[in-house]
Amino acid sequence: MAHDHSNTPDLSAGNLTGSGLGAHARNFGLAAVLLIGIGAWTGFRSGDTEHFARAYVVAMMFALAICLGSMFFVIIQHLTRAGWSVVVRRPAEALMQNLRWMWILFLPIAWMGWTGRLFELFPWADLVEMAKVSPADAAIVKSSLRQDRTGDPAISSANRKLSGPAMILFGFSITFAAVDWMMSLSPVWFSTMFGVYFFAVCATCGYSSMALLCLRLQHNGKLKGIITPEHYQDLGKLLFAFGMVFWAYIAFSQFMLIWYGNLPEETAWYLSRQVGGWRWLSWALLFGHFLIPFVLLISRWPKRWPTTLAIACVWMLVFAFIDLVYLIMPHVPHDVGDFSRYSEFAAAHASDSPHLLDPTLLGLALGMLCLVISMTMRSLKGKSLLASRDPSLGESLAFQNM
Amino acid sequence: MTTLTTQTGIATTTAAPARLYGLVAEFENPAQIVAAAEKIRDKGYRYWDCHTPFPVHGLDKAMGIQRTILPVLVFVAGAAGCTTGLGLQLFTNSFNFTIWALVWVTGYPFLISGKPALSIPAFVPVMFELTILFSALSCVGLMFLMNGLPRLHNPLFTCDRFRRASDDRFFISIEARDPRFYRSKTEADLKSCGAAAVEAVVED
Repeated sequence: MAHDHSNTPDLSAGNLTGSGLGAHARNFGLAAVLLIGIGAWTGFRSGDTEHFARAYVVAMMFALAICLGSMFFVIIQHLTRAGWSVVVRRPAEALMQNLRWMWILFLPIAWMGWTGRLFELFPWADLVEMAKVSPADAAIVKSSLRQDRTGDPAISSANRKLSGPAMILFGFSITFAAVDWMMSLSPVWFSTMFGVYFFAVCATCGYSSMALLCLRLQHNGKLKGIITPEHYQDLGKLLFAFGMVFWAYIAFSQFMLIWYGNLPEETAWYLSRQVGGWRWLSWALLFGHFLIPFVLLISRWPKRWPTTLAIACVWMLVFAFIDLVYLIMPHVPHDVGDFSRYSEFAAAHASDSPHLLDPTLLGLALGMLCLVISMTMRSLKGKSLLASRDPSLGESLAFQNM
Repeated sequence: MTTLTTQTGIATTTAAPARLYGLVAEFENPAQIVAAAEKIRDKGYRYWDCHTPFPVHGLDKAMGIQRTILPVLVFVAGAAGCTTGLGLQLFTNSFNFTIWALVWVTGYPFLISGKPALSIPAFVPVMFELTILFSALSCVGLMFLMNGLPRLHNPLFTCDRFRRASDDRFFISIEARDPRFYRSKTEADLKSCGAAAVEAVVED
């Protein structure tokens, strides 16, 4: 095209290779060990096995959501043969590669189930969940790296073929993960929207983390002039569409049908999230996960300016975490049938609190986040940060929003 | 008057001589038209346009076109739709005061499945739909209005050469109503930008 070619992107190895990321991997790894250690220690000290286990599930789902969201992005780019996204695909691949080791995070829960200590937490699922998506994920990443060496366009074509079945598997896995690990914590409650809800969480976490990782790499002096405001604007659009609008749409759909139907077996789930401190957490989600970032990110420049985009991404990660706390932590109260009026029930439960600053919850969640960052940096270390011989690379480098 | 276009025969059957609409200049590739557009922009013309067979990156900037305010207007329209949806339901279902809207009308609170008369969750779908409706209609409508559409004919279509604007050639047109338009000077300007050919177009 006829636009200005005077600033040709720098495709030299120094700009493209993930050197110097080893220190990041080590520092975040140490932080992860420290924070998970604090979380585990305070969790054991408290003696409340169920609280500890639920906090662990929040942290595990948070880490899982980041990687599943990135995986969704990579698969859909192959599936739609997207050209614009080639320059941001490698960071997304690095994030999704974490799925290979993430089954390890499930082992503590499996062990608790094995030893019969999990009398109230019901993880019906098993390791198969993680194992299902891993082969497809590994194949796509490996072939993408192979293309860096050979430049064979047939690899892109093979990835496109693979991405169709992978997307179907992804849909099943994410739904089973949501139902088995989160919805079954309140075994009598059900919502057909729940799998989609978890998908919205994954998309929020995935797009936020991808944009933050790209910003971080550029801050480190990598991929200069390759990822441009045009690409950030599109990542911002996707975060806006899936993380704010889509999330609000499906979360409200689930709420409104249950509110309107007004059946006790369904409303109890929301009731437990409307008393005491949970009431304020629900309102915080409405404003923090939808209305405020919606206004912040709706126009063009906040998505293109790195500082505002970074603020929005961190904001959305925080609220995705709060969303997971909202989904996983509350109990449906056992005394829910003892009250005839809502106000009496609310008064009896006025002291219920989300305990967002609980060291077990925060330690585990931040620790898992650091673990994901550390492992991502490890997998990027010394590798090429750009799918440099992808047939659509030129299209991606020249990409402009009209 | 010099021969203008092949189709002026019809126009000249009337008594008055055909009025000049403007000049079109033909370019052979996108790089040429972007460079030319920058020069024409710097010469201070106002009523001029570029015509290309496909979108050319960077042409908006070369022409000095400001970003449209359409998104802001659509946001306002969407907010108006949301407010309308909320207001309509609040008035009809939540309160029973009387207002004059061509005739005197009174709200009618009605008990529906035991919900309070003021139930925001029940109102949200209508608020959402009206937001979409108002913003979509205003987006299309204002886009037409701001582009001067619908316009069923343009004098440029009388120029045979111009037909290649939808195939493999790139054109700049400058209208005669532009305050800086002088036939000979504008023609020289276009030629100096590297135009392969410059042709006059008449009103029809």
